[in-house]
Amino acid sequence: MKKKILLATTGSPASFGAARVAFEMARRYDAELLLFHVAGVPKKGFSYQEVSDVRSQEAVQVDEDYMAWVEEELKTTYAKQLEECKNSRIILANGLPHREILRAARSEDVDMIVMGAHSGDSSASYSKGYPGSTLQRVAKAAKCPVMTVHRESASYMGGFSHIVFATDFSKQSESAFKYALSMAKEYDCEMTLFHALDITSKVLAQSDIEDKLITLRKRLRDVYGPKMVDFKNFEVDVWEGNPYVEIVKIARERMADLIVLAHNTRELDPEQASMGSTLEQVILRANCPVVSVNRPDKV
Amino acid sequence: MPEGILCNKQPIVTDEQLKLTLGDKSGKQYYAEMEQLDVDTDKLWSTIQNTMKSRLKTWLNICAKCGLCADSCFLYECNDRVPEQVPSYKIHATLGEIVKRKGKVDNAFMRKCMDIAWSWCTCCNRCGQFCPHGIDMGVMFSYLRGLLFSQGFVPWELKIGSGMHRVYKAQMDVTTEDWVDTCEWMADENSEEWPGLEIPIDKEDADIMYTINAREAKHYPEDIAEAAILFHVAGENWTMPSEGWEQTSLTLFAGDWEGCKQQVLHVYDAIERLRPKRVVGTECGHAHRATVIEGPYWAGREDGQPPRPYIHYVEWLAEMLRTGRIKIDPAKRIKEPVTLQDSCNYVRNQGLKNITREIMSYIVEPGYFVEMAPNKEYNYCCGGGGGFNGIGKYRPQRNIALLKKREQILATGCKLVVAPCHNCWDAIRDLEEEYPMGLRWSFLKPLVIKMMIVPDHLKPQDEEGEE
Ligand code: SF4
Ligand code: SF4
Ligand code: SF4
Repeated sequence: MKKKILLATTGSPASFGAARVAFEMARRYDAELLLFHVAGVPKKGFSYQEVSDVRSQEAVQVDEDYMAWVEEELKTTYAKQLEECKNSRIILANGLPHREILRAARSEDVDMIVMGAHSGDSSASYSKGYPGSTLQRVAKAAKCPVMTVHRESASYMGGFSHIVFATDFSKQSESAFKYALSMAKEYDCEMTLFHALDITSKVLAQSDIEDKLITLRKRLRDVYGPKMVDFKNFEVDVWEGNPYVEIVKIARERMADLIVLAHNTRELDPEQASMGSTLEQVILRANCPVVSVNRPDKV
Repeated sequence: MPEGILCNKQPIVTDEQLKLTLGDKSGKQYYAEMEQLDVDTDKLWSTIQNTMKSRLKTWLNICAKCGLCADSCFLYECNDRVPEQVPSYKIHATLGEIVKRKGKVDNAFMRKCMDIAWSWCTCCNRCGQFCPHGIDMGVMFSYLRGLLFSQGFVPWELKIGSGMHRVYKAQMDVTTEDWVDTCEWMADENSEEWPGLEIPIDKEDADIMYTINAREAKHYPEDIAEAAILFHVAGENWTMPSEGWEQTSLTLFAGDWEGCKQQVLHVYDAIERLRPKRVVGTECGHAHRATVIEGPYWAGREDGQPPRPYIHYVEWLAEMLRTGRIKIDPAKRIKEPVTLQDSCNYVRNQGLKNITREIMSYIVEPGYFVEMAPNKEYNYCCGGGGGFNGIGKYRPQRNIALLKKREQILATGCKLVVAPCHNCWDAIRDLEEEYPMGLRWSFLKPLVIKMMIVPDHLKPQDEEGEE
């Protein structure tokens, strides 16, 4: 299967982990890699020749020279990887990072977006009028799975061998499940189907917890078991606690190299959503890449 | 020298010329050429004779130079009250001189006029309310800008802006294809959360046709999605035109009157073609001024009205809230001190002052709305109006101009500013960037979406997962 991966990068060290995974995946799975970079965010209401450089935050005039310079910078930064990955292209854009990433993902019809947790985010005040982090906004709206690699240590070294799929049984989780399963099949890895019983907001007796865990384990089996069909290399587990903590813990324990979960937030305000979102916390704490899936397309 | 390659008396009408001008970093070559540009004094004088209406002539003549207008001008106030910034002084030193000398002015004088016309006046029309003779410098300066534009003395960005309108029928290079695709994209991106959400293009005989500011299509398409969501929730039968959707007019800021007419005709053609019952424009002040207030005159419409009733977004929104087609969850109303920016272009120019306050009464918990002082038709320009925001050459002056708004906002004690105008929104954003004070600012649409009650049948029909 021919795949297209869009690596959204700022070119800064914060996104090196993401770059490493993206290039590695492209190489291993023979995918096309689009190295995507938003060079600047428009500073003025009109005559958008002036942008704020994504990295330096300085005001710069956008012209061919500037864009050529940015491209050169990227080429130098990723010289080695680009050398090894023949099937790649550099794409530059100007605008709000999340919007441009989504625009490119759509027009290039990519199969996956890979980014760092702070990729392309701009702290300058003009983007404050539109709340939410770049990642938050991309993860929410992207039609394809979004892989996040928060730090370099979380970038995998080899192929995938164990996937933790965490579900909250939402509709979005179905898409995430499909994606996790197809990855597990394609790369022939183990899979853990996991649910975390959230006990942070309620006081439950230990016996109630035990009962619930049993019911939930059954629910996991009932919901996903039949869908596994001939894929046998999986187990199910339910732990109680604070969901993001438990997800990160089980991933560690199973030595997972990939966590898949749904973005799943009904919160309309991205600022609010980013606060409580399990996904955000998992991304920040996990020691492996995290894939969020929000839509049934592209899984 | 006759005319430059970039700086000349011709408006930009081709993509090639547009790209060439855009490629000139900061307008360096453009402004260098401007220093050599000849003034066609005969043409200047004949233009004045042919176009200067008696009202303007009278104004120039009857101004008593009494200076009563001085304090009305925010630029006078925030520039240490230097006499040169008194409105009457500004116009006499520019337009007044040109008329007095019957157009016999030189290049240096024209450049001085350009500086004054675009960086000493935002055409906010505030002074007109204080002059005992009703003399409105905003109108005079608009006229002066037209004269300067026709002679090629216009800031680089606005030459480009006017060219954008002429080449792309929009202030940014958004083609019809890009535009239609953007609408599809937004409908698609939000359809899961808002089942049944559509952005209908070119639907005939709809109740509402909606028009926007091109930067929404170019950089902030969520604005379009937000409008669509609100129309959807309100149950509107609405549409957007595939052509004639751009409601703004940088040509207005540039003084490119011919371009103004062309631009507004694109919108009016769309109205005639699609026959909506009425038209709603986005939350943009100058767009409203261009298509609703001045547009009919540019287009030569005898009744002085657009082809169909054309309302500003705040009018539509107030109607929805008043009639309950959009309901606000009282628990979600704004519960922090919040103030409102009155946009000169539809508040002072069209009197839409109470309608925005009516909206505030629905979305703000009683007791939290704080008025700026002064306000309504007496409010000061945001500091970035009239094109000021976008002109690199005048950025230092623009930054000074923001100070009045800063003072006004600081006095309210609010950290949140509702700014239903793209230009004001930009100016307040820049204000926070230049003089950080922890401000937040918002259009109305995202605020209302956050706090409205969504009828059950419009919610996504999925079983929530958690046990
Ligand atoms: S108030 Fe009116 S008459 Fe007096 S100086 Fe100003 S414009 Fe002239
Ligand atoms: S129109 Fe506004 S900016 Fe211009 S002179 Fe009058 S008050 Fe000052
Ligand atoms: S940007 Fe807003 S405040 Fe400033 S002149 Fe325009 S409408 Fe007035």
